[in-house]
Parts: sequence; C-alpha cells; structure tokens
Amino acid sequence: MNKTLKIAVREYNVTVRTKGFIIGLILAPVLFSGSLIAMILFEDKVDTTDKTIVLLDSSGVVAPIVEEKARERNETALCDEETGKQVRPAYLIERVAPDPEEPERQKLALSDRVRNKEITAFVVIGAGVRKPWEDPGSAFISYHSENSLFSDERGWLSWNINDYLHGLRIRDAGLPEQEVRNAFQPIEVKGLGLVSLDKKTGEVEEPEATDEGKALGVPLAMVMLMFMMMMFGAMPLLNSVLEEKMQKIAEVLLGSISPFDLMMGKLLGGVGVALTGLIVYVAAGIIASNCLEWEQYVPYDVLPWFFIYMVSATFMFGALLSAVGAACSEAKEAQSLMPFIMLPMMIPMFVLIPVLKEPLGGFATGMSFVPFFTPMLMLLRQSTQSTIPAWQPWVGLAGVIFTTIFIVWVSGRIFRVGILMQGKPPKIKDLLRWAVRG
Amino acid sequence: MAAVEIENVVKTFGKHRAVDDLSLEVPRGCVYGFIGPNGSGKTTTLRMIMNIIYPDSGTIRIFGTERREACADDVGYLPEERGLYKKMKVRSLLRFYGGLKNGKDVNREVDRWLEKFDLAEWADRKVETLSKGMSQKVQFIGTVVSKPEMIILDEPFTGLDPVNTDVIKEAVLQLQASGTTVIFSTHDMGTAERMCDFIFMIFKGRKVLDGTLASIQDQYGSDTLRLRIDGDPGLLREIPGTRLVRDHHKLQELRIVDKADPQAVLAAIMSKTRVKYYEQARPTLHDIFVRIAGREAEETIDEQDA
Repeated sequence: MNKTLKIAVREYNVTVRTKGFIIGLILAPVLFSGSLIAMILFEDKVDTTDKTIVLLDSSGVVAPIVEEKARERNETALCDEETGKQVRPAYLIERVAPDPEEPERQKLALSDRVRNKEITAFVVIGAGVRKPWEDPGSAFISYHSENSLFSDERGWLSWNINDYLHGLRIRDAGLPEQEVRNAFQPIEVKGLGLVSLDKKTGEVEEPEATDEGKALGVPLAMVMLMFMMMMFGAMPLLNSVLEEKMQKIAEVLLGSISPFDLMMGKLLGGVGVALTGLIVYVAAGIIASNCLEWEQYVPYDVLPWFFIYMVSATFMFGALLSAVGAACSEAKEAQSLMPFIMLPMMIPMFVLIPVLKEPLGGFATGMSFVPFFTPMLMLLRQSTQSTIPAWQPWVGLAGVIFTTIFIVWVSGRIFRVGILMQGKPPKIKDLLRWAVRG
Repeated sequence: MAAVEIENVVKTFGKHRAVDDLSLEVPRGCVYGFIGPNGSGKTTTLRMIMNIIYPDSGTIRIFGTERREACADDVGYLPEERGLYKKMKVRSLLRFYGGLKNGKDVNREVDRWLEKFDLAEWADRKVETLSKGMSQKVQFIGTVVSKPEMIILDEPFTGLDPVNTDVIKEAVLQLQASGTTVIFSTHDMGTAERMCDFIFMIFKGRKVLDGTLASIQDQYGSDTLRLRIDGDPGLLREIPGTRLVRDHHKLQELRIVDKADPQAVLAAIMSKTRVKYYEQARPTLHDIFVRIAGREAEETIDEQDA
C-alpha cells in the first residue's frame, strides 16, 4: 500500500474509532431533531393566566367593541377544541375614563399598575381614530406594556379595532358595507416555479409551487450538513498534527515519508472521516424522507456536487488547519490562530440569506467564486429553485481545486519547517518565509 | 561505495553556525559514533543525513546518491526525542512504522523483536501504559523493524537503565554483524570507545576528530601515566616533565610533556613516595577530546555524565 494511503488509513481509524466520533455522529441529529421536537412540544406552552387590559378611550366608540370582542373570545376561543383544555389566556378589559387634566400622570399611574403586575397593559385610544383624515394628530392607538413587541394582545387589539373602524367608516360614508368589503377582498400572489417541458413525453409540465421547504429548508440543510461534516473531517487534523509535533512523532514520520505525502495522507484520512459521516447522514436522510413521503425534498441532482464540494472543502480547510498545527507548539497558540481559519468557514454562513434571496444576483455570484466560499455558496445557489448557468459550478470547482493544491503544498512546507521548531510561536512573517523558502 | 559521504557541509540557524565545513565518510557495515557535547552539531548533522533539514551548502550522499527527501526506506532513524502515538497499541504502532518504510515481513519482525525485548505481553496494550524504558525499546524496534540497510540513532542510550542499555547495545552489535551500517550519537565516551569502529568528534560545529579509536590514539602515543601512590597526590604536581591532568582520588593521571622519559618520571615519583600502581597507557577518548576542545568541553561532558 502506498505510504500516503497508510497515513490516511491510520488517521481515519484513530478518528472514526473514537467514542467522540460515534457519539458526535449520533448526537448531532439527536440534538437537532430533539430541538425540533422540543419546539413542537412547547409550542402550546403559553401563559394562560388572565390578561387585564385597561382602555383609555377618548374616541368613545372603540372600548365597547373591544369589550364585546373580548367577551366573545373568552367564551369561545380559549380552549382546545379537541381536548377542552385551556390553551389561551382570557382577556379582561377594564375601562378607565381618560383624565384630560393630567393625562401623563394618569399614564404613569397605569404604568405603575403594570409594574406591580395588577394589569398586563393599558391602551390609549385617541379621539380622532374614527376620522383620522380630519385630525391626524389625535388619530392614534398606543399599547403600553412591559413587552409590547412580542405581545399577542397587541395584535389581537389591532386587528379587531381596525376591522371595526373600517366598517364604521364605510357606514358613516353611507356605503353598503358588504359590497365595499367585497371590493377590497385581497387576493394572494402565489409563488410558482417556471414551466418546463417533460423530456420523455414532450408535454408541458405544471410549474412547481414555491415551497418553503425546497426554497429554504433544503439549501440550508445542505449547507449546515456540509459545515458539520467539514468540522468532523478537518478539525481533528489540527489536533493530530499538533500531537505529532508535541509528542515528537513528526520527526520519525519525516524519516519515512515526504512532508507533502504526509500532509496528503492526513488530509485523505480527514476526507474519509467527513465522507463516512456524510454517507451516514445522506443515507439516513433519504430513508427518512421515503418513510415520511418527502422524496420531493431530496435534491438528487445536486447531491454529486455536494459530495465534490465537501471533499474539496475538507481538503482545503484541513490543509489550513494542519499548517496551523505544524506552526504552533502548543494548543493555546493554535487556538489564537483559529479565528483566521474559522473566518473563511463562517463567512458563507453570514451571507446565507442574501444569497438565498437572490441566488443569481451579482453579490451571490461573486461571493460564490471566492474559492474559500465556493463549496458552501455555490452549493447553496445550486440547491435553490433558480437555475444558475451551467459553467459556474465548474469554474468554481476549478478555483477550489487550484487553491487546495496550493494550500496543501504551502502547508507541507510550513509543516516540514514548523514541525522541528520549538519555543516561541512563529510570526506571520516566519510562516510566509517558511512557505516561500521551505 | 560508502554508506554516507558528507562533503563540505555548512548549516547555519540565523547567525549560529551549527555545522561548519564538515566532511565525513561512513563506510558500509561499520558502527560509527558521533560524539560531542550538547549543542555541538551532532543532531543537526544526523538530521541533514536524514534530509529532514537541508544543508546551506555542501553535499550529502547516501549509498552513493544525493537525496532530496527524507523518505529513505533503506535508512532507519531514531530521533533524539522519542515520538510514539500514545493512544495506539504497541503492535499496531510498530506495524505502522514498519509499513511506512515498506519493510518486508513486518508483522513477523514486529513479533520477533517484541519477543526479543521481552515486550510480547505488552503488544496489545496502549503505548501510554509503557514505562520509559519500554517506550524506548519500542521506539528502537520501530527503527529497525523494516530491516533498513543503515540505522541512525540519535542518543539511543540516554535515559535507559544499565540492563536496558545493554539490551539495546547488544541488538545494535547484532545488527552490525548482519551487515547493517550503524551511526549513533552519544555523549558517553566509554560507550563510543567500546562499540564503535569509527569515531567522529564534533565541537562547536567543527570536526575535531575522525577515525578508528586506535588511529586516534596513535596520534597521541602512550603519553599517559596512571598511578596510585601513598600520601598526598598534590606532590605529583612537582614532578618535572609531567602535568597532572586528573585526580580521581584513588587514581591519578599524569601526562608526559616535553618528551620526558617515563622511566625517569617514575624514578622521580618513587624518590618522593611509595608507588602502589603504575601504568603507561594511551590517552582515553575523553582525554583526547578535552585536549582538543579544552576544559570548557570537559565541563559540559562531565555535566552530562553526571
């Protein structure tokens, strides 16, 4: 067996046969699905204690309808229809006459009542809400509570008050309410894909509906999986090289194998580890999607690219991490250099949303051609429902391969010099000198 | 064809000249000892022979060819600082090391060496469970298990107890007997004297001695007197034509200077005190080294011997 392969096999075995790898492989999806299960389980875990809302209504028309709607809601909508168990809080409306002399004092007193947990919130309704065009200054409704941003009550009030005011204004104008409401019936703009021709039958196929799962879920899941596998495959290389350096094993190895071949062997081992994890997950994903009848979500056309990009990304970042390991003489030093390696791995994660929104835009295209970002971002663009030009993945891949070979070569040189260096950590200047002079 | 030919090799680290214009030829099948105090350039020279580091100038040929890579399957290398994967099992580790050198019958050789070194029952245990001496023996097996034509051992006996030292020495001599060329470095002059066919001394990067022990000693003749006398050894300082070089308390060493007659020297001593023991001998390697490298070198060697 070739020496590089021997190094790869050892590297693969020591990583894959550890408890950490097996536990990590099982634990990652358990944690992931566990958090989903937790979200579903705790979805209905809402606070069902009564919410008392004080209304300061200067308009004279809003408070009665809010009281009526709250009563209706409390009678009909608090309990789960199937179980009969209360799942929502009751809204208790308390009407307080606005104090025209000292409105601010009155708000302060009500705020104190909120702070003392006597009431949940208070709502100030301006006098001009019925005809806002006449006096815009008095046409306001303000909701005051300790957490008004995420308050369900605010949404409920907004919907019911506005719905009532719309009807009131239509009637004030002497118009038939139902006709006007019909006239303003909104129509949803449905998102669909492009129409294409079925190559077998020659018939025009129905366009696919825009599906959140396909548009967001699949690309994000692929990128997250790639990130996770890269961490599985590439991260152990840092410690492995560091161990070889600290335990003085490197000198023994360099007596048997060239630095480049040693690096390649270690990287191949890392890629093997990443592929093992990936095969387990992809196989589990396909089986699970078949069982759950989610086959349409498995992007079979992008899977080969996924494998190719993941292999090249593991090579590229594995080489960088090995070089860091070779350049440092203790774990602490390596940690201080980690952010520089993690940054190119993390940047694609920061730009996921802009790339997903416009996969064919200049920003997404440009970013996906930066070799460090190509594996994740090109894959992300390919796995959206947009069709990216066929040449782009190939050009991106060529960039990744050239960069990877270059990094492996440079890392090999740093490795050979760095592995025998002890004492003070190298400066960037030293690393560059080692890379150039070997 | 020589096993190793070194010609005018220079290696500097920053401003420090670690090896200075070194030329050396190691014949095949011999035991060649590299001696000298720490920091003298032994390890740098060995690493250059292994191509782990490259010389700034000069050439190094191994079995007649100049090599650019360290991956020489015909040369086994035991570095000064031992390196073993702590989490690997002894047998797997040795098979891995032997495999990396493309050794033949590695599996059988591993078992044979483990048996020979009384390590068979440790074969399936992790390296981290071994004692220091055992680890060193495992490291030695890792160097020789692929049956290389030449082995380079950097300080192979350091840190070993006398029993294990003898085990490794015996193994080295057996390998030589079977045709293997052995180069080892040591700061123990006695070991070098007893084991080496050729001795090379390096001090401050420069070659100070090179040759067989006999040829080296021949250069200095039988100019050393070893004596045991009654009374104060200090009186030996006053004997004309000699210089007291060492006082071992029970034994004193004098060096004859100015071509003095040893018999006259003996007569002069006997006129002052009783002589219990007298020997006219060739200088030891240690003495020769001290003469060349000076007292400073002797102190560094004595520290290591201690």
